[in-house]
Formats: sequence, C-alpha cells, structure tokens
Amino acid sequence: MSSSLILRAEAIDKSYPGVHALDHVDFDLYEGEVHALLGENGAGKSTFMKILSGSLPKDSGRIFLRGQEVDIVGPYHARELGIGMVYQELSVIPGLSVAENIFLGRLPKRKPLGTVDWSEAMSQAKRILDDLGVDVDPRERVGNLSMGEQQLTEIAKALSMKAQILLLDEPSSALSDEERERLFSIMRGLQERGVAIIYVSHRLVEVPQIGQRVTVLRDGAKVGTLPVDQADEATLIRMMVGRELREKFPKDEIQRGKEILRIQGLTVRGVLNNLNLNLYEGEILGIFGVLGAGRTDFARALFGVDPIDSGEVFLNGRKINISCPSDAIELGLGYLTEDRKDGLILRLTIPANITLASLKRISRLGFLNQGEERATAEKYVKELDIHTPKLDQKVEFLSGGNQQKVALAKWLCSRAKVLIFDEPTRGIDVGAKIEVFRLMNDLAKQGVGIIMLSSELPEVLAMADRILVMAGGSFTAEYARGQASQEDLMRDAVVK
Amino acid sequence: MAKNPSEPRVSALGRVGAWVATPQLRVRLGIRAVLVFAVLLFIYYVSTAPRFFSVTNATNLGARTAPDIILAVGQTMVIIQAGIDLSVGAVLAFSGSLASVAYCYWGLPVWPAMLLGLAAGALLGFINGLIITKGRIPDFIATLGMMVTARGVALILTGGLPVPSHLTAITLKAYLPQEIIWLGSGDILGFPTGALIALLIVAAGWVILMHTGFGRALFAVGGNREAARVSGINVDRTKIMTYTLMGLLAALAGLVLVGRMNSANALMGDGTELQSIAAVVIGGTNLFGGEGGVIGSLLGALIMGILRNVLNLHNMQDFAQRVVMGLLIIGVVLFDQLRRRYGA
Ligand SMILES: Nc1ncnc2c1ncn2[C@@H]1O[C@H](COP(=O)(O)OP(=O)(O)OP(=O)(O)O)[C@@H](O)[C@H]1O
Ligand SMILES: [Mg+2]
Repeated sequence: MSSSLILRAEAIDKSYPGVHALDHVDFDLYEGEVHALLGENGAGKSTFMKILSGSLPKDSGRIFLRGQEVDIVGPYHARELGIGMVYQELSVIPGLSVAENIFLGRLPKRKPLGTVDWSEAMSQAKRILDDLGVDVDPRERVGNLSMGEQQLTEIAKALSMKAQILLLDEPSSALSDEERERLFSIMRGLQERGVAIIYVSHRLVEVPQIGQRVTVLRDGAKVGTLPVDQADEATLIRMMVGRELREKFPKDEIQRGKEILRIQGLTVRGVLNNLNLNLYEGEILGIFGVLGAGRTDFARALFGVDPIDSGEVFLNGRKINISCPSDAIELGLGYLTEDRKDGLILRLTIPANITLASLKRISRLGFLNQGEERATAEKYVKELDIHTPKLDQKVEFLSGGNQQKVALAKWLCSRAKVLIFDEPTRGIDVGAKIEVFRLMNDLAKQGVGIIMLSSELPEVLAMADRILVMAGGSFTAEYARGQASQEDLMRDAVVK
Repeated sequence: MAKNPSEPRVSALGRVGAWVATPQLRVRLGIRAVLVFAVLLFIYYVSTAPRFFSVTNATNLGARTAPDIILAVGQTMVIIQAGIDLSVGAVLAFSGSLASVAYCYWGLPVWPAMLLGLAAGALLGFINGLIITKGRIPDFIATLGMMVTARGVALILTGGLPVPSHLTAITLKAYLPQEIIWLGSGDILGFPTGALIALLIVAAGWVILMHTGFGRALFAVGGNREAARVSGINVDRTKIMTYTLMGLLAALAGLVLVGRMNSANALMGDGTELQSIAAVVIGGTNLFGGEGGVIGSLLGALIMGILRNVLNLHNMQDFAQRVVMGLLIIGVVLFDQLRRRYGA
C-alpha cells in the first residue's frame, strides 16, 4: 500500500458481563482506503467502532493516529481528532429539523452577537443533502422523514464534520439500491481526498464494490484481513461463520391456499392511492419499492397504526375494521416494524419481548406462565441463533442484528395468520438470514400469508411468490415468481 | 511492538493520579464517597437515637410508615408505566374523610362506609386515568388538578373540621368505629395491623408486576409506549387501570391513617404524594418509567420512615425535619441521575 497509515489499533480488548466482545483486536487503516469490517451478529463490529469514536471506553489496548498514541476520551474528542461516525442505531433527534440535526452543537454563527446564522445553516445543509442526492427540505422535522431519509440525514451529519476518518456502521441498511449507489459515489469522492473509511455491512456484495481491504471478526476476535480481490463471497462466509453455507435463499414451493386477505381501495390522502391487494394462504407476497414509495405507510395503515381515509379490508372473506394495532393483533395480524426500535421494549428481557404480542396466550387468568415463556424464548434464541450471554438479558444490551432477531421472534411466536414484515432481514448476518427464510417457509406451510416489504432486490426475487412494485403510493406492477428481473423491478419502482 | 521513544516517563503514582483525573472516574468516586458518607451518617443517627431499639418504637414506626408503604406500592406502578400521580395525598384525605363522615354523620354501617371510601378513591383514580388518556393531558398536570380538587371537595365535605370533631363527638356521640381504629392502631399478635396490611400490599404489588400480563404491560408502556401499542397492548386501558388501582390504594392508606389518628380531616396526608415518589426513587425505580419494582420502594419508604422517626427521637423540630426530607429527596434524585449517567 503506497499511501500512509492513518490509524492503527493494537490489541483492543473489551468485555461486558458474560461477553468478551473484543479479544485483543489489531486493526490498521490507510489514507484513502475503504476498509470493510465484517462479522456475524454480535461479533463485535459496533463495539470496535464505538471505541474508535470515543463513545465507549476500551478495557485495554492502544490506538495510534498517524503514529501518535491517543487516548480518545469521548465523541467530542474524537471529532476534534477528525473521526466521524454514523451509528448503527439512528441517533438523530426527531423533534429537530434536518439542518439542526446535521449541525447539532455547531450551527454556523453570525459574528457580533453569536446568533445562529440560519440562512447559512440551511444553505450548507442543502448542499450536503444535494451531494447525497436526497430530496428533503433542510427545514423539515426529522421525525417526519422515512427511515431511509433519517439514515441519510445521519450520514450527512457525519460528512459535514469533514472527518479524516469516517466510521460507517451499517449505513446502507435502510437504503435501497439507488441511494446506496449514491452513497458509494460520495465515498469514492472522499477517498480521493484521502479520507479513510471503515465500513460495516451485512451485504457481502457491497464489499468488492466499495472496499479495498476487508477484516473479519468472529466472537470478538480477528479472523484475518484480506485485500478484496482475494475475498470472494465464499471465503468471507467461511471466515465469518466458520463453515460453508449452502443455499442463500432456501425457497420451498408451497401450494397456495384460499384467499386470506383482500384490500380494496385503501387510501390515505396524499400518501397512499387506492391500493388493491389479495393475499393467499401460504403465499409470500413481496412488495418492492425505493425510498419514499410508501411501503411503510401502507403497512402502518393496514395495521391500524395510522388512520386511513377510505378503503375496505376483508379477512377470510369477512369485512374487518382495524382502528388500532390491538384490533389487528386480535384478528390475527402481525407487523414487524421497519425500525426495530419501534417494536422493542429495550429495557425488558429477551423472553418478555418475544412474548409481548402473545401475552394473552401465555397467561392463565391474567397470570403469566413463566415456564412457557422461557421455553418459547429459548426455542427462538436457538433457532435464530440469538447471541446472548443469558436468556434473561435485557434487549438493550444485544447487538443490533440480535435485536432484530428478537423483534422477528415476537411475530413468529404470535401465531398470526397474516404477517407484514417490513425489512425483515435488516442488519441480520448471512447465516441467520437463511434461518429467517426457513422460518418464513415453515410459516407459509402452516398456511400463514406473509407480506414482505423489502428494498433488498435479490431477497424479494428469490423468496416472494408474487411481487408487487410500489412507487409514489401506488402499486405500479405485479409479477409472478420468476417473471421479473432486477431491471424490471427497478424500472417500475421509479415514479413516472 | 517497540515502545514509543517520545512517550514521557510517568511514575506509578502519577498514573493513578491521571486515572482518577478523568471526569467520569472522578464523578464515580465522588458518588461512592457521598453514598458511604450518607450511610455512615444514617447509622450514626440511628444508633445514637434514644429508645430507637425498643418494642414501642418499632411498633410505632411500623404503624406510622404503613400508609407511606401502601402509597409507594401504587406510585411504583404509576411510575413504571412512565406516569406520576401527585393527587395521592389528596385522594387519601378525601377517601378517609368520606368514610368517616359516612359513618359518623350519615349513619352508614362500618363496612359500607369503608367500601364507599375505597370506591371513591378508585373512582378519583379512574377519573385521573380518563383525563390523562382520553383528554391527552400530561400525567403531571392532570393529577396536579386532581390534587387541588380532591382536597377542596374533602374540605367541603368536612367543613374544614376533624371528623369526628370534639363538638360532634360530645353532642352526637359520633365516634369512629373500632374496625377503622383497629386498621391503624390495632395489632395482630402484637404486630401492627397497618404494617401487616402494607406488607400484604407489597406482596400483591410484587405478584402483579412480576407475574401478570398487566404488570408486563406496565413495563412495556413505560419502556416504549409506541412499541407497546404496536405489540397489541391497549395503552389507554393499561394507564386507566393503573391510576384506578393507585386511587384504591390511596383510599386504603387513608383508612389506615384515619385509624391511627383516631379521626379524619381534610388536610391529612399533606406532602405524602412527594414522599411516595421519593420512596419509589430511593428504591431504584426509574423516574422515567420502564424499570423498577416494589421491594425497592418498600425499602425506600422504610428508609424515609426511619429517618423521620430518628429525627423525632433526636427532638428535631418539625420545620427543620421538612428541610432535611426535602434535601434527601433532591439528593437521591440527583444521585440516581449521576449513577445512571456514569454507571457507578
Ligand atoms: N451495552 C452492552 N452490554 C452488554 N453486552 C453488550 C453491550 N453491547 C454489546 N454487547 C455484546 O457485545 C457483543 C458484540 O456486540 P456488537 O454490537 O459489537 O456486535 P456487532 O458485530 O455490531 O453485531 P451486529 O451485526 O448485530 O450489529 C454482543 O455479543 C453483544 O451482546
Ligand atoms: Mg453492530
């Protein structure tokens, strides 16, 4: 490598009660390099990045910046040292505007009185957002943005810091292909200016597209570092999971049954236009769309989270009325939210979260059957390979991907007949994804109808029996399994 | 790897010094020091208090803290679901007064009179819940309003006089029934009745929180209201039930208090709302909801009770006692925040 070493971490070690999260990890990073950091859920990627960004203290080890040993005491210190980070869990403040979030704590000031220079802030924010190709008003409240847009705001915030080292922890997990491409081109631009980037992702296809070298962690220890041209997918998977994986998408052919759900003319003014849809027993219906297509709005409206203006919903041929989520659950629906934090109670334990939507079923006369609760939780912890030191761990102490698995398990155990999964595999590692798909197959075999909202094209193409494309709040195309190509879907997903 | 030659040599002591100098550690050490100091001070005062370790004092202490413990159990549930109830003192006074008035002046038999008091407390709690959920009023404001209102109604009901007052006791021969007095001043095998009731309530509270779907819902609503809703928990119903239960417990605490004082009045239980909140926070329940339990609150209420008792035994003036209690509450909340922030 011709360029110079900008960061070196030596024997970084970190333990939590019951978990050796990082086991003497060495790592180096060169100027102008994109260094991919991979590993299963709970391997220690986020922990490592948080130590570099000063938001987590290390137990031992040393960090050198341009050869100089540094003791990073906090995020502010890291920022002064030129280290910026995009966290895996969104850290934007919903009540503030996009521009305020981007310049949080360092809004441009006007000279004599030190008042905020709003016009400057807005125009600077606009410039960064334009670079990212995001079409949002810098004055918009972040709480009103979609999850992908929030993630882009988060990225814009990190970019605006003009960091020399950029730590990106699954920045693309809420983005569809188009936004991801734009993110990549920005990253390439930064690289040319000498910015070094550590990039965490569970999408292995991204590694050769954007990275120069890749480091793999397993159970907190470093397995190895490779240049990308030696790191084909099979090699990476072997390094990550320690074994070969066979099929990536284990799709079972299932004879679909009778119609289970019919939606007619579902409308939310200005958001969803006259949506019609049928779902059959044992069917996996994929709904694909890019950022802002309205997939999540559709799911929320159907599940009674947001009110609808008009439209009818039939379940097993009977017209139903859903005015709040508990109605929906009562009727046998389930909804995995796009942002797992919208569906998890972080301060409750794994079993309590998994049974949250099935409280009635696991209680007798109002009393919880805790034996059954633990048994259920244990089963899903095993099936989904949820990494945790103990069953009763609070969910807030799990890694992002493991939290996602808990959120999924909640609905898998709810015995719902219709499941709406919004980005079910977000943040989940390659091995566990296969398990998730297997469990979806099992559900389908039991006659459950699954609506899978996803921006992950290969996943939709491989797993869905039927695909609806959504754009601008309408369904724009429908394909049976095997009839559509990636190009077809992308074309239909763009608003005409 | 080779040692960085430019690194200055530091003595071992210097290293310790630098280590202590990081702000987080300083705060952590500070917190521990304050805690140790507070515990030592507490032990000192307890052990030097005259007659603290006597059966009379223990019985007295048990009887006195009983209403506080009952309130703290209810307040724990309210706070776990991320609410707060400022009206408990007033509801206590209103319900206690109502039961007494009903028996002494309206001629209701004992049990219906007590049931009326309990039902009235539950009703006020229910109204709190309705205002908070259906009216979308913050818990703090709604119960603040109820606090003032219930106190006012109690004053109207009693005419601002004790029930029974000296005069009515003589002219009407209106005395409180033995049953109510037994609740607050009686004993079972030498153990104060009120304290037994309080312990029973603590046990019930523990069972509800740890072993029922309703308890689980409280934690869920307090931890993440939206997520609880999307998981099918009826947030409004959960909140209304919690406040109703709180009202019921406040009324029960009212009866025990009336029994202990041998009379009711509209101004009793003044300040108990803050004491109950303090007990809950001292007990380790998160003031912002989602975590906690009644066992901690029991300890919290006991600590406050013992402190008051000890200050009394040391003959501290009531006014000064208020200052001490106030400082204790501020100190504990501050301490709790720092502890959470710095993970000490
Ligand atoms: N605050 C915490 N308390 C206790 N354990 C923790 C805490 N944070 C993380 N862990 C544990 O440390 C390990 C590493 O977690 P980390 O978040 O670094 O994983 P990750 O590689 O980022 O995984 P993912 O792909 O799921 O995001 C996990 O086993 C996790 O359970
Ligand atoms: Mg992570």
